[in-house]
Order: sequence, then structure tokens, then C-alpha cells
Amino acid sequence: MEPDRESTTSQALAKENAKATPGLSDPERWVEVYGDYLFKYAMARLRDPTHAEDAVQETFLAALKGGKAFAGLAAERSWLVGILKNKIFDHYRRACRETLFTDLEFYSDEESGRFVAEGAFKGAWIHDLGPKQWPNPGESLDKEEFWQTYRDCSGKLPRNVAAVFNLREVDDLDSKRICRMLNISESNLWVMLHRARMALRRCLEINWFGKAGEAL
Amino acid sequence: MKWLRRLVVTLGTLSPTCKQATRLQSEAMDRRLSFFEKFGLRLHLILCKWCRRYGEQLRFLRFAARECQEHESGQGPHGLTAEARERIKQKLQAGCD
Repeated sequence: MEPDRESTTSQALAKENAKATPGLSDPERWVEVYGDYLFKYAMARLRDPTHAEDAVQETFLAALKGGKAFAGLAAERSWLVGILKNKIFDHYRRACRETLFTDLEFYSDEESGRFVAEGAFKGAWIHDLGPKQWPNPGESLDKEEFWQTYRDCSGKLPRNVAAVFNLREVDDLDSKRICRMLNISESNLWVMLHRARMALRRCLEINWFGKAGEAL
Repeated sequence: MKWLRRLVVTLGTLSPTCKQATRLQSEAMDRRLSFFEKFGLRLHLILCKWCRRYGEQLRFLRFAARECQEHESGQGPHGLTAEARERIKQKLQAGCD
């Protein structure tokens, strides 16, 4: 039974591939099939259409050179995403050569306002400003409005801070690798990540979870 | 009861403040905390529901950030324009020749 099932799957994949290739050469087909996906991927990270377009184009050019055959669209797409990720890292490397990547100014005052400033309880949350209970955070992930809010909140982070946050949280790169890539110190990286998390958390609480709580 | 008071005071000095605990909880996601940092933070989290919430929410943010990349690549609002698509195709053609 196994070989039969396997051959049916590969036939289905071949059909799927054939549907996506109505007489186009490989590079043209790539642009048609994966261009939009890769561009959106790059936009989410670089937040600039020109840079995103460059990254996608460089990805396809690199893919042309390293041309491989894939059984199925999913494998081909993850191969291209892998190349694109490296192009995005290259972009950050270039950016950090031009400007200082560290951004410690960001939200440095705002966070202190949430804690008791003086007395025996110095450094404790001011209770009204402390973290609120978030009703069913997991369910929010299915809602388009949540992603709209997330996008707005992450868009408010300074570009460098958002870049660092995504390298750590989305790409799961360790601190040392990020620091080497961007030429920043670990202690600065940790401060930036701390503030990014604090700001994002707070923005989502105010603009999403706080409102969801009111609606319940 | 003197010993009890002394114990509470000692524990109090070992426990970080909420402000320090938020930073430690964030850093725990990026590096190994020292023994004392870890001990102090654990102690603090037993006592403080706000900081426990804070930690849970940071872990949710990590999960959401990953989901977001998936979501944006599939359904993000900024697609490739027809002009950009053509530009890329032309560059690729030039690259092929």
C-alpha cells in the first residue's frame, strides 16, 4: 500500500507544480508563484517597499545560481525563504555599518512611570498601572483585527529595535550572533529587547486586551 | 517571632523589585541568569502576581511574534505591485542571459 500512496502524493505534487507553470521559465514562474509571499515576508521585517523588493530580487538571483529541483511547492518555498532570510540579515549588516544600531533612548523614561518612585515600595508596580489579566490571548491569534493591532504596535517600535526584536523572537538567533551581526554589545542588546517587549506588551494591552476586556 | 521578622527581611532583600524583575524576566529569555538572579526572581514571582502575569505575557509575545511572521507573509496588506513584479522579472531575465 505504501508505495502506491507515495506515488499518488508525488503525482499530486507534480500536478500542483504543472498548474503553477503554464509555459513559464523557472525565474518567471518563481516571481508569479512566490513573489508575493516573499515580498510580504520581507515587508514585515524591513518595513520599506524598496528594500523589500531588493531583497526579493537578490533572493531570486541567488536561487538562480544555486538552482535546485524540488518535489513540491512547499519545499521550494522554504528554500527560497531561507535565502531571503539571509538577504534580510545582509541588509541589517549593511545598515549597522552606516548608523549606530543601538537605540537606548527609546522608551527609557516611559517605563519608570509605571513603578513606585519613592519610599518603602520603591520599584514595585503602581497597582493600577501593573499588567492586567489578558482574557484568552490564544484566541486573539485567529482574529484579523488582532493582527492589525499587532502590526500597528510593532510599527511604533523604532526600526532598529523592531529589527533586533524579530531577529531574537522570530528567527530565534542567540544573543551572541545578533551582537556580531549588528556590532552591538550584549548588554545593549538586552536593554533593547527588554524595552521592546515592554512597549509591545503595553501597546497590546491598551489597544487590544484592554478593549476586549471592556467588550466582555 | 523575632526570627520570623528577620527571615522576612532577609527574603525581602534577596527578592528584586518589580522593576528589576521585569528586566530579569526579559533577560531570562535571552541569557542564563546567575544563581542569585534566578533565586531572587523565583522568590519574587512567588510573592507577586503582577510580575507573574508580566512573564506569561512576554512568553505570549514571543509566540505571537513568530505567528505574526507567518500571518503577514500569507495575508499581510503589502503585496507585490504589478510594476515591481515586472521589474524583478526583467532583472532575472538579464541575470539568466
